[in-house]
Amino acid sequence: MPRSAKPDALRGSIDLLILTALSLGSAHGWGIGLRIQELSRGRLDANQGSLYPALQRLEHRGDIESEWQSTENNRQARYYTITRQGRRALGEEVDRWKRFAAAISLVLEHGS
Amino acid sequence: MSRVQGLIARLRAVLRPSDAEGRMEEEFSFHLEMEQARLVREGLPPEIARRQAQLTFGGLDAHRETMRDERGARWLDDLGADLRYALRAMRRSPGYALAVALTLGVGIGVNGIVVGYVNALLFRPIPARAPEQLVALFQRDTRTGRIGEIGYEDYLDYRERSGAFAGLAGMSGVPLNVAIPGASGSLAGDMVWGEMVTENYFTVLGMAPAAGRFFQGADAHQGANPFVVVSYDCWRRRFQADRNIVGRVVRLNGTEFTITGVAPRGFRGLRMFGFWPEMWVPIGMHAVIEPGSAGKLEGRGGGDLMVFGRMKPGADRAKTRAAAEVFARQLAGSYPATNADLTAMLVPAGVGFDHPAYVKPSVLVLSSALGLFGSLVILAIICANLANLQLARAAARARETAIRLSLGCSRARLIRQLLVESSVLALPGCAIALALLQANRVTERYLVPKLQFEVGLATSTDARVLLFTVVVAVLAVGLFGLVPALRASRVNVVPLAASAETAWWSGGRPTRLRRSLVVTQLALSVVLLVGGMLFVRSLVAARAMDLGFDARDRALVSFNVGLQGYDERRGQAFYDAVLARVRALPGIAAAGLARPVPFDSYGQTTAWYIGDLANSRDGTARINTSVTSDGFIAALGLRLADGRDFTPGDSANAPLVMIVGRSVATRLWPGRIPLGQQVRYAGAEGPQVTVVGVVDDAKFAVIGDAPGGHLYLPVRQHYRDWQTLVVHTRGDPAAMLLRLEGVLASLDPALPAFGKTTLEEAVANGLSTSRTAATIAGFFGVLALLIASVGLYALVAGAVAERTREIGVRLALGCTPVGVLRLMMGEGARLGVIGLGIGLVGAFGVARAMGGLLYGLSPSDPVTFVLVPLTLGVVVLFATYVPARRAVRLDPVAALRSE
Repeated sequence: MPRSAKPDALRGSIDLLILTALSLGSAHGWGIGLRIQELSRGRLDANQGSLYPALQRLEHRGDIESEWQSTENNRQARYYTITRQGRRALGEEVDRWKRFAAAISLVLEHGS
Repeated sequence: MSRVQGLIARLRAVLRPSDAEGRMEEEFSFHLEMEQARLVREGLPPEIARRQAQLTFGGLDAHRETMRDERGARWLDDLGADLRYALRAMRRSPGYALAVALTLGVGIGVNGIVVGYVNALLFRPIPARAPEQLVALFQRDTRTGRIGEIGYEDYLDYRERSGAFAGLAGMSGVPLNVAIPGASGSLAGDMVWGEMVTENYFTVLGMAPAAGRFFQGADAHQGANPFVVVSYDCWRRRFQADRNIVGRVVRLNGTEFTITGVAPRGFRGLRMFGFWPEMWVPIGMHAVIEPGSAGKLEGRGGGDLMVFGRMKPGADRAKTRAAAEVFARQLAGSYPATNADLTAMLVPAGVGFDHPAYVKPSVLVLSSALGLFGSLVILAIICANLANLQLARAAARARETAIRLSLGCSRARLIRQLLVESSVLALPGCAIALALLQANRVTERYLVPKLQFEVGLATSTDARVLLFTVVVAVLAVGLFGLVPALRASRVNVVPLAASAETAWWSGGRPTRLRRSLVVTQLALSVVLLVGGMLFVRSLVAARAMDLGFDARDRALVSFNVGLQGYDERRGQAFYDAVLARVRALPGIAAAGLARPVPFDSYGQTTAWYIGDLANSRDGTARINTSVTSDGFIAALGLRLADGRDFTPGDSANAPLVMIVGRSVATRLWPGRIPLGQQVRYAGAEGPQVTVVGVVDDAKFAVIGDAPGGHLYLPVRQHYRDWQTLVVHTRGDPAAMLLRLEGVLASLDPALPAFGKTTLEEAVANGLSTSRTAATIAGFFGVLALLIASVGLYALVAGAVAERTREIGVRLALGCTPVGVLRLMMGEGARLGVIGLGIGLVGAFGVARAMGGLLYGLSPSDPVTFVLVPLTLGVVVLFATYVPARRAVRLDPVAALRSE
């Protein structure tokens, strides 16, 4: 089983991960966690409870919005949707992340 | 758009925290269910799946807290907790809370009141358009330095030809006998102060009338403009705020005037220290308003027109003054006989105009600054004391503080809690202060003596005063809350956690400062209390003092027949008729006329040529004089020592006579019999007057008056149109007033009676200055004592907190509670004695200095100098005993364990 990344490492990028997960469609909190895990092929285990403060923060910022809906098995759940502002933020964030990752890789290549 | 939605979401979360909480819980449990279900699907038994789900989810509480923090709910929660904690602390020590509330409240309140007065004196502008552009214009004599008002012709020239002002108006005060047809009661006829004004008076001020209109250009014409504008207060009081007041007719000094308008609310004329005019009439009406004032619309080189103007747009005071001075030189050239040495002088409007010779603006500014400074010092001392008090408590709780800090409570959090605590303590104080401010109108009524016309400073708690008070309150809370909070939280955690009473808060310097502060406050309160007590005792003594006349059962009514257009012949006949009718009333023991009567608002002196008078260069003496009818001496209850009273026979054709007071006789004719002595009236060539009677001295102006002497002239020989009827009744004098008014009304219904009072009231009014002084000194004395007590309390409480462990050791070693009490009270008592001692020395000095103001009392009055220190001693003992008692109650074991 591949080692999961430490939650600490996730802290800075949790917003990015949530927005990416939501860009694929609305989901409830648990679904978002699951989606992140799937997208990372099980390498990232978004520390589940800490997802919610981040969701609340993003909603307050206006990057996502939420709505109570019924699930398939008729259970009320809070569904989050990315807003237009959220998509824009995601685009900028992804750009920044890619430049950062590229810079890190460059450094690592020369160093090794 | 979504940003707005985000904001709404946040707001909803803050405003309805229970909603947010509920949703959060539901979301969490949904998550856990889903996770558990997933794990079950993967093959785990439900119980283990559940535990596994909870494990991956993490601490529920931690997540809840993070979310609450995120939406600001935590902050509210904490604030609530702080508040509850502060309230609990307050309930635990109500005495402390009361002391804080009282001292702070009184301190801030006093500040507010002082600021209210200063505001009224210096800063509240006339309710005119752009009052900063208004200046008063006076003429100064460059040779004598005399500053005077302006003659009408000069005024017209300044207005029309000088080009220095955008507008120039004038006014002249005048007493008005007002009769309101259709009105009832004593307001129907009254004497009020009004002003004759140039027709552009309100235009220059740039005011809008509250009703009707002001004067117009046509009203400048002489004699044809019987119009009157009434003040807002007058409209409300005398006309019951009649909506149809415009067009109503009033009789002013016997002539009908039509009301054209009502001045704006709050406008009380332009005089700062003068009367408040109730009515304004065009100056062109002077001939009927003030018959005989022929010179009103003429004259140069000085006059009695108070002139003010609006500066031209863009001109400042220097520029305007330069232009006015240039024009004054032109006038001097054109009219050398009258205007040769006169130059123009400008006075800025401020809150009104006053003759610069009467009121020096700098004096005003200085006294205001002193008042402000004094009250701020009081407030600063109060804050310092309260801060000390808080420090003492913080010291007592040092261990708690240290533990909280070491448990990870943030410094900001701790500071906030202490601030909340002091704010909670300060709030009742602020409430008391606001209540005090409301009393401000009452204090003014109490402090300003009642005169026959309305005067005052018109202090009020306007927005400016309120703002200042709030700022002061906030500063005070900050000072006495934040400083201890900062110090407490700077505590070095490690040693304090180990020992609760390291002397971290009692460095050498601040303690010495605090000790001298307490001593100063005590000394100050001794001085003030001694002063107040002396004044109070002197008031009591004054009431028992022989006035030279009998104030009991005397009723007074004044009237001015001159304002009704009476000449001397009609006036004398009226006096005879009044006296005859009044004396015929049942229950009248005696009746007479005089002006002035004792404790009148007005006084009057006459110059007498004696010839061989000692200590006089020109042989004349100025002596206070009353003009009286026959029967006045009996009516007032003066004691006739020798000779006779005036009789109807002392008429204009008879030889001139006078009655003198005893000390006038001793002063003018020492060692001689005064009866039959002769003096000359108005100089060496004046008519000769013979003394026909001697009466005992009476106090006329101030009760404390050394008998300067008074003399009396018969009104039949020296006509005055303004008289006060004095009646000695056998019944209630206040009830007699109505009947006297009835008599006057039956003789002339249009003649207003004013100044209706009893002689006892008038005398009490004459004592108002001392009463005011006693009130102020007493008030500040009690205030200072209160502050000093709080200071002492804080000092001792601090010492107890600081020495908890030492006390514990002493108690454990067998020291008796009395011993501990003595130990803890020793310091406070020592300071108390020092403060009392210094204060007493100061009080002796002050008492000696104010000896002249005391009636029938030695400045070193033994009662005062025993009672005050005794009272203070008790207060000092109490202020040290209460906090020291805590030391006695300490459980030695617990005190030792506090280490």
